[in-house]
Amino acid sequence: MDAVREQRGESAEGFREFVASRSSALLKTAVLLSGGDRHAGEDLLQNALIKVAGRWSRVDDPEAYVRQVLYRQQVSRWRLKWPRREVSYGEVPDGAAGDGGTSAAELRVVMRTALARLTPRQRTVLVLRYFEDLPEGDVARVLGISVGTVRSTTQRSLVRLRGLAPELASLGRADAEQPPSRDYAPVEVRP
Amino acid sequence: MNVDDMLKDALREQADGVGPAPADFADRVLGVRRKRRGRTVAGAAVAAAAVVAGALVVPQIGGGEDVRPAGVTGTADVIAHPDQSPPKDVIAAGRTALASFSTTKQVVFKDGDGEMVRTYGVLDPTTKTYRKAAGWAWLDVAPGLRTAAVLEKDLPARRIGLLDLATNKVTRWIPVARGAAGVEFSPDGSKLVATTYKKDPDRLHKENKVSDGKKTYPGSGPSTRTGYSVIDVKSGKGTWFAAPSNEEAFGNAREDAYFSPDGKLVGVFTEGGFDNDSTLKYYDLAGKEVATPANLRHLLGWIGAASLSPNGKLVAGDFAGKGKEIAVAVNDAVTGERTDKLPAQQILGWADDKRVIAWGCDPKKCDGKGEFRNQLLLVTLGTHKVVPLSDFRKASAAYPGRWSPEFTTR
Repeated sequence: MDAVREQRGESAEGFREFVASRSSALLKTAVLLSGGDRHAGEDLLQNALIKVAGRWSRVDDPEAYVRQVLYRQQVSRWRLKWPRREVSYGEVPDGAAGDGGTSAAELRVVMRTALARLTPRQRTVLVLRYFEDLPEGDVARVLGISVGTVRSTTQRSLVRLRGLAPELASLGRADAEQPPSRDYAPVEVRP
Repeated sequence: MNVDDMLKDALREQADGVGPAPADFADRVLGVRRKRRGRTVAGAAVAAAAVVAGALVVPQIGGGEDVRPAGVTGTADVIAHPDQSPPKDVIAAGRTALASFSTTKQVVFKDGDGEMVRTYGVLDPTTKTYRKAAGWAWLDVAPGLRTAAVLEKDLPARRIGLLDLATNKVTRWIPVARGAAGVEFSPDGSKLVATTYKKDPDRLHKENKVSDGKKTYPGSGPSTRTGYSVIDVKSGKGTWFAAPSNEEAFGNAREDAYFSPDGKLVGVFTEGGFDNDSTLKYYDLAGKEVATPANLRHLLGWIGAASLSPNGKLVAGDFAGKGKEIAVAVNDAVTGERTDKLPAQQILGWADDKRVIAWGCDPKKCDGKGEFRNQLLLVTLGTHKVVPLSDFRKASAAYPGRWSPEFTTR
């Protein structure tokens, strides 16, 4: 049993403890889902926490619940065609990369800027795959979409990232962009 | 580096830059909730939440549903079990988790030769507990804590297994043309470096007797390393490079190659012979020797690449205590000059750029035998704040012998 559940009480006090111990970690995910916009991230997390507060005594794993709300709420924003907030970056680098001279740090900034310009749905799938490190099947389950949709959204998102940031063209192609191959399909062999 | 890696790095960096949540966040949430409950017309945010509620399946603990919220260990910054030794439940701090640990015991055969036998405890990503993984001669957990590379007994092995840690089954075997006795994942998990040997480096030979003053035991032989293979995990394809050990040396039988902290180079250590100093050489992934990068000149031999801080600026140093003082140095990675001195015995790795994971003994009982009674600590640079991560090391029935930790990026 993890530390969070051990610490969890059944009261408002338990909720406060949960928020105190987990909100900083959850906020990281919420800000990433919001394309780096701290205020939008706080709003997103606040809404998710309001939901879990309303059913505190009935939710077995508050963190898993809050995360699922975060992910789906973000996707729902897309479904509802909410206007996207424009994110301003004080650190946008020069658009033109030098002759292979763009440093890894600069590329990461370019990447972040490009991420902020994806749709919430595209960004959510990338955050789940590349930050939370969830397999495609788990991403499909938490978002309530098919594995095929996860795969195609990932591919399209990566292609869009490259389109938004030509500096990334010098990098190798990502796995998700590769055509599917059966060459290395797992074979179950017992030792 | 490909887009996958850059994306991961960019997201991680962005997440690291998000400061803590407001201290009054819970009060704020409860306040907004009270206001919203009083309204008759739901606001836009609540409408969005309602759509979500319809589609939600609340994960039930113990209900059989596989819930993996955020990686294997969750996102708690520090998960400590100062009452456990050997560890039972997952231990992690910052970016690093205790992926596995091993104990070794010497088995002596009737003919007088022997074998160093390892028993691993490896993190089960589903239960988040360490599970005994007997039967493997070698095990290395990949970053992300879901897969391990394993070698079967009777080294050198002719195939590398990829063990799914959730199911405890080998999902794939990668055949290797030359027998491997050690294998390690690259920092991004995409490659393996398998060190090849002519003979089992864990074998003990009666000709090389060692004595503890009372009894003699078979000892290690010379290193029979032939080289190493760099293998792409996805395709299973690899390239072998010759890197024979020095035949004159009487050093370690095991001289495994390892990846540099950025995964772009392979470091190969060769024990010196009678007239030669030991050498550590770096090769690029095409096997071309390269000059040692400036910040890798001061890596510690026993932890290798784990010596370097994630930002590449600091490096774990040697024991630095004077008299009865227990202290270990942290040095500038390029100049090797000391930048800090921490209250611990030996640094094992970095939780992040500001915190190390180290062995520490009980300050009151650190003399003589007490030196070996140590626990895993998380120590912060500058403030020297110490957080115990495990209980003091001792043997147990399940894992005879002292356990040695192995860390991986979580």
